[in-house]
This record gives sequence, C-alpha cells and structure tokens, in this order.
Amino acid sequence: MSIFADYYDGVHAKKHKVTLRVYQGMLWLQNSDIERHEHLSKLTIPPALGGTARIILFSDGARCEVSDQDGFKQLFPQQAHSLIAKLEKNAWYSFSALIVIIVLAVAGYLWGLPYFAKVAAAKIPNAWQVKMDAQVLQQFDRLWFKTSLVPLVRQQHIEAKLKALVLPAGGILPQQLIFRNSKALGANAFALPGGSIVVLDGLVELSENDDDVIAVLAHELGHVQAHHALRQMLQTSVIGIAMVWYVGDVSNFLVALPAAVLENRYSREFERNADDFAARLLTNNAISSLRLAEMLEKLEQAHTPPELQKDFMKPPLFDYLSTHPNTAERVKALRAGSGQ
Amino acid sequence: MLDRQQLHFEFSGRGGEYFKIWIVNTCLSIITLGIYSAWAKVRRNQYFYRHTQLAGASFDYHGDPKAILKGRIIAFVLFGSYSLLNHYNPVASLVVLLLILLILPWLLVRSLRFRLHNTSYRGLRFAFLGDVKHAFIDLMLLPLLSMLTLGLLWPFAQRRMIRYIRNQSAYGNVLFNFNVSIGRLYGIYGMVFLYMLFMFAGTFGVSYLCGSYLELPDKFAGQLISLSAMVAAMVTYLALLALFYSYVQARMQNLIWQHTLLGEHRFGADMKASKLLGILFSNLLLIVISLGFYKPYAEIRLARYRLEHIHLIANGNLDDFVTGIQGQVTAVGEEITDMFDFDVAL
Repeated sequence: MSIFADYYDGVHAKKHKVTLRVYQGMLWLQNSDIERHEHLSKLTIPPALGGTARIILFSDGARCEVSDQDGFKQLFPQQAHSLIAKLEKNAWYSFSALIVIIVLAVAGYLWGLPYFAKVAAAKIPNAWQVKMDAQVLQQFDRLWFKTSLVPLVRQQHIEAKLKALVLPAGGILPQQLIFRNSKALGANAFALPGGSIVVLDGLVELSENDDDVIAVLAHELGHVQAHHALRQMLQTSVIGIAMVWYVGDVSNFLVALPAAVLENRYSREFERNADDFAARLLTNNAISSLRLAEMLEKLEQAHTPPELQKDFMKPPLFDYLSTHPNTAERVKALRAGSGQ
Repeated sequence: MLDRQQLHFEFSGRGGEYFKIWIVNTCLSIITLGIYSAWAKVRRNQYFYRHTQLAGASFDYHGDPKAILKGRIIAFVLFGSYSLLNHYNPVASLVVLLLILLILPWLLVRSLRFRLHNTSYRGLRFAFLGDVKHAFIDLMLLPLLSMLTLGLLWPFAQRRMIRYIRNQSAYGNVLFNFNVSIGRLYGIYGMVFLYMLFMFAGTFGVSYLCGSYLELPDKFAGQLISLSAMVAAMVTYLALLALFYSYVQARMQNLIWQHTLLGEHRFGADMKASKLLGILFSNLLLIVISLGFYKPYAEIRLARYRLEHIHLIANGNLDDFVTGIQGQVTAVGEEITDMFDFDVAL
C-alpha cells in the first residue's frame, strides 16, 4: 500500500507532494521529480500528538508530514503504539490524571508539605537559627522597635518566672527573651523563627500581673517547641513557588490572595496547637489557663479600633483570610479545657 | 513580476484536545517530582507549533527534553541557593544575584539560540546569531540607563532591544529585519499617557462632585480636593494595570510585526486591544472559577487570537529559501530566564 505525504528535503523550503511505500525494511518515497529510499532503522518517528500530522524525520534534516493518520498506522504498524500518545488520547486517562492531580494536591497541602516542613525544621542547625533571629531582630529594630520602657527588675522577674516553669519532657525554653517597645505593633508578643520570643511593652501594660504575661508567653513557647515560625516560613515559600509556577504567567497580582488563604490555614492550625500547649503547661504549673483566655480577649480589644468593634468582622468568610483563629473560638476552647 | 499575496497564520489547536494532553503531562510531571516537566514542555511546544500553519505548512519544535532538564536543574540550583541564602545570609545571596546578573546576557543569548534553532518550518530551522557583548549592551545596559531618565528614553532602549533580537534572527539563510521610527513607539506610550490623564481628570471631577453633594463628616472637611485626587490616582493606577497592559501589548505586537521584513517578504498584524483585553479578562475569570483547570483552554484561545492576527505579505515565492548554518546549543539559558520571569518577547 502507499500513502500521500508532504516532503521537505531540509535544504530548500519547497514542499514536494510524494507517495510513501514500505518495502523490504525500507521507506520508499517518490513523485515525478524525486526518488528516495531509506532504511527504516535510520528514521525517527516521533509519537503522535493530538490530531497533528504524523512526522518522519530523516537523519539529514529532511522530513515528511502525513496528515492521513489511518494510512500512517497501516504503513508503520509498529509505530502505532506510543505510550504517551495513548495516555494523551484516551478520555479515561485524562479523567484519572485529573483525579490524581486533585488528590495529590489536596494530600500534599494537608499532610505532605506540613510533614516535610516539620522534618526539615527539626534538622536546621542551632547556629543558623541563632543567626536568623539576630538578623530578623536587627531588621525589626531598625523599622519598628524602640528600647523597652519596662523596668529592668520587672523584666528579670518575668524571665525568672518563665525559666522556672516546669516544662513537659523534652520541652525547651526560648533561645532568648527580648523586651522591646513599639507603638505601631502595640500589645503583642511573638516567637521568631530561631526560637527567641519578643515581648512588646503594650502587652506588659495590658497585664494585671506577671501570670498574665506568663500565660501569653506559654502560648509563644508552644510555637517555639514545635518550630512553628520556621515551619510556616518553609511552607509559605513552597506554596508561593507553587502558585507562581502555576498562576504566575496569568497574573502575578492574582497569586497573592489564594496563596494567603492557603497559608493562613497552616497558621491557624499552629495557633490552635500553641493554645493547647499553653493550656497544658499552665495547668501543670498551677496557673489557670483562663489567664490566657482573658489576655486574648484584652488583646483583641486593644487591637480593634472602637468603631470596628461590631459584628461585621465576625462572619466565617473573614476567618479564611485571618492568620489567627477567631478569638471567641479560642477563648471558648480554653474555657472548656479549664473546666469553667 | 510582482506577485503579492497576503498569507494569514492559522491556528488549528483545540481546547478539548489540548486539555487531554496537558492533564496527562501535568500529572506525570507531578508524579516524577518535576523531572518529566521537561518532556511535558516539549509536548506542549510541539502541540502549539504543529498546529500553527502558514501557507499550507506547519511549524515544528525540536527541543531536546534532556537539554531542557539539564537547564532546569541548573536554574533550580541557582534560584534555590539565592532564595535559601536570602533567608539567613542576605550578603551571600546578593553575591549569587550579582553572579546571575553577570551571566544573564550569556543566558539570554543561549535561550534565544535554543528557542530559534529548535523551531522549524518547511524543514528549515530558524537561527539566532546575536553575540553576548551586544546582548549585554542592548538587553541590559541601555534599558537600565533609560530607567535613570525616569523612563523618558525607554522607547529608544526598547527599540534597541527589539532590533537586537529581530535583526540577528534568521529563517534558513535569510535574516529578519526590523526598523521603526522612534515616533511610532512614543506614539503608543503617548496615547497611554493621554488616556491616563483623561481618566484621572474624569474620576477626579466625578468624585469631587459626588463629595460636594454628599455631606462629608467634619473630619474630612476641607480635604475634598486631596481626597478626590487620591481616589482618581487609585482608579487610574488600577486602570493602568487592568486596561492599558493589553493596549500596549496589542499595539506593540502590531507595530513590531508591521515593521519586520524577512528578505523580500513583509509581515503585518492587526490585533485589537479591546479583543485582547476581553480574552485576557475572561480567561482569568474562568481560570479562577475552575481552580486552574481552565488553563489549557485559556492558552489555546490566547494563542489563536495572537497568531490569527499576524500575516505575511509574500513577495514572490516562499519556496526559494535555502538552509543556513546550524550550531550546537544547550537549553540552560532558556530555563534560567524562565525561572526568573525574564521573558524576551519574540
């Protein structure tokens, strides 16, 4: 049998209409002007691709294009079965691929990435962590922080109390307890990636006694135990890279929001874990976990301008955009845990 | 004998067909932890090239997946070491960044060579002959210098960039030729500036009028002008991002093709900014709604619109080309420029 093909000799752009024939292990190509025969083993035949013409490449750069797909299959029966072409053609394989992608993406997001971040965070050497914190602190000192106005005696008191806490087995104390003042950030305390804790003056002012401060520090200590800040950093960079790779060429602007929604879920989970840790730690040290609950409420009030202390910030949709779980929810959980 | 023919580029790719190819290749890329993505890229390019027709013949892509994979690994190492160092040692990461900038012209040349050398039409390869020295001057130095003039001289730099890329590109043994009067480039940006001015004035006027009818709280009294200016600036900025991007894209592509010659043949283009905007916007919306799975359809739609609004005005016979010289290339350059989102529009 023979089929029609377009032939280009690789030297001129001229198209030759030719007929193809396979005979005695050779491909024979001819029309009224040209005649060429080539051993089949010297030809490259790329796998089929959608409905595009089939291609035969000669080693000298010449090529044939065959739009008659069925004829091509009959002429080259051994080329009919390319694995990738088969996978790309069948709707069942596309459907399976779709399911696999969705399952892998969801599983990777829910378990895979958190797991790898946890393993990696535990492996980062202590020296790096100390260096990282020094760097972060330097940045913050330049941009936001002023020297703390809390009397040194009080600072030492709080630090001594923190160090005296009875930790669960394997528990670690912060690398450093750092006091700073910042108008912009107000009443706040946070754990740095390397395991130091920063306490801002606003928080100390908000507290009625040292136990109130210790309650918040217990929560931050929860972050330090589990390397939450470091894990969050690793997880957000992976999510960021994945989103840029996937959506980036559509719009960089559009990457930010979905990435934030995905990242904040991790963050909220860490907050809940830290709350749980704090509740247990406080109870073990004969401090009521209600101290933390009350401080959380006070902190929320301190951070919400009076005209916004209404209900419209409450709908669940807003929670997805938040790095922290709903305060009411956290307080409820702490109250339930303390049995009151 | 003058025999002029207007030949349109045609694109025959279909969304449904490409979706099946895309989803299987994406799945394989994920399962192989990204290794297969080099092969997937070749499949993708081949799909788009082979579905692009001009004068009854289609294009083809010949990139070697292994070369692309090698490029991706090098890009990954460079990019990875930069972002990792950035977290705990900014000084060292700056050194890496500087190193990347230093080899960037070389990478750009490599990437252009790889892309063109691996594109064929009617059995003949394209080629890129530009050298690194001029890549450094035309693609990096002059654009950076034009920034110092607050972008006022940017059209000059941009013309140099396009000229460098186009005039060193060849199909077979025939060079492309691009030249355009600088006024045409300033014309495009001038129109954008006028539109923006108009937009600013319009929104300023409307918000000022609204503000004077509504009774503003005492807090804002006497600030109506600055408030309106702020609103107008914001609206204009958003319009710049959303609307004028496609305007500049469409106009620039038309201008570039209308002034490109290939031997005795001329190109033409008639893209409409409003149509392009419509496609980009609806693509974006559908991609978001479908959680990303509309992407292959979106790519097909955009490629179809772009390609089908370019044409070749052939003077004489297209068959008269003969092959040019072909050299060895690797894919490293193309991959690194991909990772750093520094795409040279061809």
